[in-house]
Amino acid sequence: MSGRRRLAVAGIVAAGLVAGAVVAVAYGLSTGFERAARGADLPDVTARFAPQRIDDLDERVRALPNLQARSYRYEIDDIPLRGPGGATDEGRLELLLGGRRGYDIVEGRDLGEREGEVVVERGVARALKVGPGDTLEVGRAGPLPVVGVAVSPDNVAFPLAKTAKIYVEPFDEAVDANVALLWVNDRERTDITLASARTVAFGLGDLRFLTREGVAVTIDQAAGVVIALLVAFALVALIAAGTMLAAGAHADVQRSLPALGVRRALGFTPGGVVAQHAWAALRIAAPAGAAGVAVGALAVSGPARSLLETLNQSSPGWALAVPLLATWLVVCLVVVAAAALPAWRAARKPIAPLLRGGELAARPPRARGGGGLAGMGARFAVSARGRWAGSVATIGACAGVVLLMLGLATLVVRLRDDPTVLGKRYQLTVNSDASLLGNLRAIPGVADATQRYEIEAADAFRLGEPVRLIAYGGDHTRFEAPALAAGRRIRADGEAEIGQGLADALGLAVGATLATLDPSGRELRLKVVGIVRALDRSGRVAWIPEETLRSADAGGVGQSVIRLESSADRASVEDELRALGLPPIRTEGATTRNAAFLATLAGVLRAVALLVGLVCLYALVQGLAMTARERRGTLAVLRACGGARADVAAVLTGAALAVAVPAAIVAVGLERFVLAPAVTALAAGYAALPLEPTGLQVAALVAGLLVLAVLAAVLVARSLSREPIVHGLREELP
Amino acid sequence: MLRASGLVKTVGEGRAARRLLDGAAVDVAAGELVAVLGRSGTGKSTLLHVLGGLDRAEAGRIEIDGERVDGASERALAGLRRRRVGFVFQFFHLLPELSGEANVRLAGRVRGAHPRAGVRAGELVERLGLSDVAGLGPAQLSGGEQQRFAIARALVNDPRLILADEPTGNLDDASGAEVLRLLRETADDGRAVLLVTHDDAATAVSDRVLRLQDGLLA
Repeated sequence: MSGRRRLAVAGIVAAGLVAGAVVAVAYGLSTGFERAARGADLPDVTARFAPQRIDDLDERVRALPNLQARSYRYEIDDIPLRGPGGATDEGRLELLLGGRRGYDIVEGRDLGEREGEVVVERGVARALKVGPGDTLEVGRAGPLPVVGVAVSPDNVAFPLAKTAKIYVEPFDEAVDANVALLWVNDRERTDITLASARTVAFGLGDLRFLTREGVAVTIDQAAGVVIALLVAFALVALIAAGTMLAAGAHADVQRSLPALGVRRALGFTPGGVVAQHAWAALRIAAPAGAAGVAVGALAVSGPARSLLETLNQSSPGWALAVPLLATWLVVCLVVVAAAALPAWRAARKPIAPLLRGGELAARPPRARGGGGLAGMGARFAVSARGRWAGSVATIGACAGVVLLMLGLATLVVRLRDDPTVLGKRYQLTVNSDASLLGNLRAIPGVADATQRYEIEAADAFRLGEPVRLIAYGGDHTRFEAPALAAGRRIRADGEAEIGQGLADALGLAVGATLATLDPSGRELRLKVVGIVRALDRSGRVAWIPEETLRSADAGGVGQSVIRLESSADRASVEDELRALGLPPIRTEGATTRNAAFLATLAGVLRAVALLVGLVCLYALVQGLAMTARERRGTLAVLRACGGARADVAAVLTGAALAVAVPAAIVAVGLERFVLAPAVTALAAGYAALPLEPTGLQVAALVAGLLVLAVLAAVLVARSLSREPIVHGLREELP
Repeated sequence: MLRASGLVKTVGEGRAARRLLDGAAVDVAAGELVAVLGRSGTGKSTLLHVLGGLDRAEAGRIEIDGERVDGASERALAGLRRRRVGFVFQFFHLLPELSGEANVRLAGRVRGAHPRAGVRAGELVERLGLSDVAGLGPAQLSGGEQQRFAIARALVNDPRLILADEPTGNLDDASGAEVLRLLRETADDGRAVLLVTHDDAATAVSDRVLRLQDGLLA
């Protein structure tokens, strides 16, 4: 195989790698929840309430409209669990009281053969290192044999989720339940079932509904915005891969111009020439694209599977074959089209210039002096304007994507560690009532303290849409101030600032009325005066005045939040709080605290970043090889004049830098003004995500591109120096 | 200055293989201008390429100013071409992106070039009567001017040996005569000049004339 063919194959493989990798990640993540929900037979509605006798409960539930099936559980929290590999005090025992399970057994078998057996959630199995055949210490029940491992996407997996879920059947006939799982006939009419459920639920204490839609929001909240960002990133990477394929195929036609001219001289029609080029491109693209797509998908399969399992979702398995096949077809189509179009353009030109191998858009060079060898190389690169612009665009797009990923990585860490990203301005929280606020404010280093209340409510018209109502004692913007997207801040009783996510979901604008139902079924009507870019809970939040909350007698969980002075010693404030008997809780970011989860995400990002970096290197080598091919005679003259490999490398470095430097500028502009806003809009249009690159990231990108440019120049110079000088001199003939 | 003997070089493969040099030998002393004549395709250019280290012979010994060419590494050959050899080509091989003078300076820009290459470039351009057209690009120069710039480029690193491949082959008579005069002057300056040519006029300025036939020089 010739070097030129090898380069073309490498380009298609590289593009296939990127496309395969991003499609595998994006498809897995975008379909993971539905797939897992189907596999686990996830209920459409989960209702939690204070313990009730099953007989009484079932009498009310079975009368609900649109109901297909029901089952009941008794949940007990804070159960100590101990396995061979670890222990937790946050176990949740799910006593299954008959009916459909709502989980999928992925290892071992289900309960039912013998009494006293246990099925553990997959995350628990991993964290505590238990599996079928092992025993698990379950609180006062003692050691129980584990017979199966289950997955249910009603939450993310332990330890990403706080509770470690295990399933058991009751030892004796249970009479009480505190969870009802409901499956409906028509999911579009779930609201009707929910509305009736609220009506018949009179007298049930602490009633909370969670719909399938709500579960998706919860999981989205747990995983932060990172999943959506990855999907958005995948789109961008695919565009970059397409651009690169097009540039590579165009370069291949450029190299073949003399052969194309010969065919035309022999009497081939332009159509025939184009068909030959398209067929030749397809013969290369089909196997190379297939290899690239397959290897790309395999490269990210491990991190993607791990990520999905952390989210309690399922890998697509063979279902991924269809999108990968479509990706392969797209890769082939892009290569064929990119080969056929310039071939068509060239085939219609006069034959004589083609035989000389002239540029598709030839332009007489303007002679100049000076600039050194690198300057000469730069002039070589820029003289083929079309290819130079294409290379700058391709490498700029790829580098922009790399920059975006650096921004994403920083954002992930900030979302985890930095509450200010969410608009939170308080650093500590304590469980206390308003009577202790004076004591809190008196602690040295405390700038201010107030009460914060939260209520989990639902939209009164769309009960499946959860809303978190938040109220502060006094001006909430002193403690929490997400960016205002429209309208104004709340000033009076009955007003609300709502998250953009909620506004989008319910179609609310400034001036509209938001009607919510609290867990007790009380309705609260609020006038929307402002819309904010809130990241928390995908923007399903509303800030309301404290008096509104009180007048509605809605209750809610109250905590004291503390804002520290900028010079405060947080540790000493925390000590003071402990001395008051108020253990402090540090304010955290939006995403998970789970290090393994973040490491997995970083693994996915790094894998794709590496592939995109390789694309940049390929594009540089491809462009340089083209320049070297065109300037073979010139470089041969340079070598005839005594130029060594280093001198050739200097020329090629100049050519590479003429592409890499503007590409870096394009990358920074692209990321700052196009990619970051686009990804923010695609991933979390309801929030303001700080994705702008830092100075350090820009410096790292520029340095990386310069290193790649020099590396590409050295690689091409080495290859060029191996061929006899006289071959190049022969090509210099006019 | 130049001593070569037993040179063997084959081009082509299989049935198409042709032995162009088959034991050829040549010596050129400092201050001497030697012309090699021969029909088209007899291997004159190949001889020049092999002697100047642009191509490798299959056998034979080549020495330039006491330095061995045969068997030298690529790095050593690059150094040899930089310091000891200057090439003049039939088609000039001026780079279209560079002005005439910039083409001359190009040879002085490679690493290890003559320390006064820049100054010499200016002097050569002036001496060869090219000052008025120094800033023009190759496309704006006549053939004679282009070849004079090419000769200046060959001389910029002050080599002891000039190898000229059909230097008048692409020029009119007047320009060709001017180029031959310059090469004669170059030899008179103490350099060894070997030129291969079809041009009978070259014999008039040469100290010796050799003919390449059946791979041998006579």
